[in-house]
Amino acid sequence: MRIRTLKYLLPLLAGMFILVLSLGSDKKEEEVQFVRPKGWPKPVYDLSKNKPTINGFKLGRKLFFDPILSRDGSTSCASCHTQWSAFTHVDHGLSHGINGLKGKRNSLTLFNLAWNKSFMWDGGINNLEVQPLGPITNPVEMDNTLENVVKKLDTAKGYRARFFLAFGDSGITGQRVLKAIAQFTVMFESFNSKYDKYVREEPGGEMTEQELHGLKLFRKNCASCHKEPLFTNYAFENVGLAVDTELKDYGRMAITHDPDDSLKFKVPSLRNVAMSYPYLHDGRFRTIRQVLDHYTDGIIQSPTLAKEFRKPMILTDQDKTDLIEFLKTLSDKDFLFDIRFRDWRD
Amino acid sequence: MKLQSFKVCYIVFLVLILAPVSSFGKTIPLNRGWITVIIDPVFNGEPLKMADQLYVNEHGDTIYIDLFRFYITNMRLSSESTTVSDTVSHLVDAEDEASATFHINNVPAGSYTSLQFTVGVDSITNTSGANGGDLDPAKGMYWVWNSGYIMAKLEGHSRVCKTLHHAFEFHIGGYMPPFNAARLVNVKLSHPVVVLNGCNTIVRLKADVAAWFKGNLDLSKLNSVVIPGKEANIIADNYAQMFSVE
Repeated sequence: MRIRTLKYLLPLLAGMFILVLSLGSDKKEEEVQFVRPKGWPKPVYDLSKNKPTINGFKLGRKLFFDPILSRDGSTSCASCHTQWSAFTHVDHGLSHGINGLKGKRNSLTLFNLAWNKSFMWDGGINNLEVQPLGPITNPVEMDNTLENVVKKLDTAKGYRARFFLAFGDSGITGQRVLKAIAQFTVMFESFNSKYDKYVREEPGGEMTEQELHGLKLFRKNCASCHKEPLFTNYAFENVGLAVDTELKDYGRMAITHDPDDSLKFKVPSLRNVAMSYPYLHDGRFRTIRQVLDHYTDGIIQSPTLAKEFRKPMILTDQDKTDLIEFLKTLSDKDFLFDIRFRDWRD
Repeated sequence: MKLQSFKVCYIVFLVLILAPVSSFGKTIPLNRGWITVIIDPVFNGEPLKMADQLYVNEHGDTIYIDLFRFYITNMRLSSESTTVSDTVSHLVDAEDEASATFHINNVPAGSYTSLQFTVGVDSITNTSGANGGDLDPAKGMYWVWNSGYIMAKLEGHSRVCKTLHHAFEFHIGGYMPPFNAARLVNVKLSHPVVVLNGCNTIVRLKADVAAWFKGNLDLSKLNSVVIPGKEANIIADNYAQMFSVE
């Protein structure tokens, strides 16, 4: 008799628990305030022209998770950008999109995008707002056109009302689709890692001896390109990788047609790096240690090689271990598990 | 008493504020008119017909035109004393007559001797994110993997092109020097454009597709230009010469 009551009571309790949880989290939902952390440079993206609002953010989120953006309704932005891996495609060297077709590059992490001067591994895209056009139109990603996305959204259930809420007008245009997605993605901010707390001298920022040694090594060997506080200088560099004979990817040169840019790729931010494997533009290394081994022992000389690699980088095995321990302090749980960035299906 | 004087003041204030507003739209400002600019797509001076009309370019190649679109930005007319302009970018599509008509309102009466505009889109607009109106990337005039507007497009087919379906395609753009494909055009006016008070003056221009094939453009070799670069610049120099007054 008692067990039977419990049987009915349990789902009820669980339901109430979820309800309370969702009510509690609703409060946090309403906050979409972009923050420029103390000591950080001025964002490159002009937020005044597309200030995130709660309705714009929610519309952008819905679009980010909706496979309606792809030609056959199979692939969404989130297919290759999952939050818990800092919005990359974890464990996928090369990502696959529509019909299982593979791209030629490793999907990039998405955070602190307001500071990006350009987008993609080759920097070919010049503004956060137009970045989604890359994957939307790529034949191996979503294989669609913005014109067709607008048409599909126009007849899809619920979208016109959401555009009205976000823009004060239910007309769906390419511009509004892109602005809404930007209002969502610009809010992916990561500045609460252990490292950040250490720099701000806050509780939770206590580093171990090993991590501090790693930080010292980092500042000596890595920080000229992976510049603090964003952990990138947004430049393009050749890091001495052998050219993949099948992909034949020469990076930035495809954009600028300048032979000096041959084999150069964007310097990615190392924030949340422990969560975002595999590494490098084609995802050829599965672990951070493999990347470090390449930097100490695998550099291939070529005319466009970064000047930092012209002299060998010397790190002992213990150094590498310490460096990796430091890099782990760049993981930001507040960002990686921020409930506002989940698929709310709302 | 005090309150009453405040009320009077308030009414006077309201009248002052509202008077100009209420008269707005009833009266036309003195000595002002309008200019309408219409651009007619042509080939060797004859109205352009798509697809099934055979044309011959100056090198003797027979060609058909399938698509012809271009941006016009910052159209402005100047007289000795003033300049009027329409700063918006317009996408002119040979298959959409309405797209080729521009209005410049509130033009001071006078005699305008210079007509200028840019074919294409300026570099600031090329980097300013998702734009609206004719600049909406959904219009199909935007490059994705190497951001920027396609300033002008010409597609067609010709027997001399050893390509699939004998097609040629020129998607011309690029905003970063030295490969900036936007071109400033000064149209030679045979006589001044006279604007009279309360009147609309129409200026008709021709945009001649034949100009795209000028000079040493060899269609058998150069039939696909879809990225910024030297070849795009050559064609941009050509399309800068396609305009004339009818």
